[in-house]
Amino acid sequence: MNARYLALEAKRTLRNAKFLVFTIGLPTVLFLFYANMMGDGRTETGVSAAALILCNMAAYGGMSAAVMSGVRVASERALGWHRQLRLTPLSGQGYLVVKGGLGLLTAVPGLVLISVVAAFAADVHLSAGQWAQLLVGVWLALIPFALLGLFLGHVGSAESSPVISGGVLVLLGMFGGLFIPAQAMPGWLAGVAKALPTYWLSRVGQSVVEQGVVGVEAVLVLLGWTVVLGLLVARWYVRDSARA
Amino acid sequence: MNLTSEKTVPEEVASGAAVSLRGLRKRFGELRAVDGVDLTIAPGEVVALLGPNGAGKSTTVDMLLGLTRPDAGEVSLFGRTPREAVREGLVGAMLQNAGLLGDVTVGDSVAMIAALHRRPLPVAEALRLAGVEDLARQRCAGLSGGQRQRVRFAVALVSNPDLLVLDEPTVAMDVETRRAFWASMRDYTATGRTVLFATHYLEEAEDFADRVVLLRSGRVVADGTVAQVRAAASGRTLRAMVPGATPPALAALPGVSQVDVRGERVHLRCADSDTALRALLTRFPQAFDIEITAVGLEDAFLALTTEGDNR
Repeated sequence: MNARYLALEAKRTLRNAKFLVFTIGLPTVLFLFYANMMGDGRTETGVSAAALILCNMAAYGGMSAAVMSGVRVASERALGWHRQLRLTPLSGQGYLVVKGGLGLLTAVPGLVLISVVAAFAADVHLSAGQWAQLLVGVWLALIPFALLGLFLGHVGSAESSPVISGGVLVLLGMFGGLFIPAQAMPGWLAGVAKALPTYWLSRVGQSVVEQGVVGVEAVLVLLGWTVVLGLLVARWYVRDSARA
Repeated sequence: MNLTSEKTVPEEVASGAAVSLRGLRKRFGELRAVDGVDLTIAPGEVVALLGPNGAGKSTTVDMLLGLTRPDAGEVSLFGRTPREAVREGLVGAMLQNAGLLGDVTVGDSVAMIAALHRRPLPVAEALRLAGVEDLARQRCAGLSGGQRQRVRFAVALVSNPDLLVLDEPTVAMDVETRRAFWASMRDYTATGRTVLFATHYLEEAEDFADRVVLLRSGRVVADGTVAQVRAAASGRTLRAMVPGATPPALAALPGVSQVDVRGERVHLRCADSDTALRALLTRFPQAFDIEITAVGLEDAFLALTTEGDNR
């Protein structure tokens, strides 16, 4: 992986207004909105509603960032920038690693900002250790989403990929319980939620704020999605190289 | 003189060649885009790959660079596979439809490619060589077609390659930009680099190349020096209806170098068409429907090769 190339790509992403709105602005605004609406409500275990909403919105912003970087593969292929890169030492796999890494890297500012806002403007009080666990945990749980972005970037065209991925993000957010808690869903729908990576992405954060441990189930589901999406991306990659 | 025949190149020399294409073929469905191309380019040569649209220039270039896999044949660049040569930064290319990222500045675009190479030129140096240092802070989306081409040139240069491959490099440039482009190219090749450029502009081939390779229907139909092309292309073709003319009588006319008679229809290839026309009208006053055209490049080349075969 090439650090300088990655840095220039990150600079490019962070100058993109649409990216900033959907991965940093919107999740933070939604967080403030929900947190205010809930007032200082608490669960039976004494965890503030704002802290749980923080986990959901951090998950939403993080997955948007992780997915959007991968989806750009589609437009770069359509533009022919891809051909330009093939005349450099960067391999095809290296390109995918850069794009996946970029998704994880560009998720960081949004995660940090929403945490700062939560701590100073929404009375979410966590220990330093908890903040660290929350950020690192959610960040690592974004790996399958970076792969999802790469997959969506290969499935569609430059025009269709961003539209498809926008839809996929909303559906994953909705049915994964980021906007309406899965606990409030009817039984079968809650079952669907538990099969989705978004549910477990927010659970990773929530188990930190509840001072619990991230369960085996969360790790297994996220790992399962990572493996499946990784194989799908690899299959597309092999098919594309064979076409050359 | 047979320009198409391959010089017999000893194996060890061929492996030292900058470019060696052997029996290259590629078909797309029914179309034989490239149909058996052999080409050897020595280090330091500047070669124009000329041909009409659809002749197979871009496909040949893509296979040479390893972007398209040939159906048959071999490509070797400096004795390596294309991928190895690319990885070592030996090859730089300006491709058709290799786009720039619209939201990235010119400087960052070149820097991104430089970051991936092992021994790149300083970015500022590549920008200067391509004459785009003034554009460094502009986003690529706002560039004109000619400016984009020059940015692509900077991208091609930044790996400091020994072989430059340019596919229709001046295609979107106006006359002024085109002149500036070739001037910066000339500076660059003065250092002994190998250049292969595809074009359909005869003047560019004449002004810039040491050697011209003509491609037609996926095959090399001629391969010669610029002097040979220029000599061939300087003639004119005279067409006319000349009742009663015989080939020997026409061939005897001053200024005529080649004769083709079909019934009353006469095609004369002329080294000096003015003299030939005066003589034709004196000898055959009944001639009508007279038309004189410059010899096209392709005609010129074909003349060169067929003359070579006949003698």
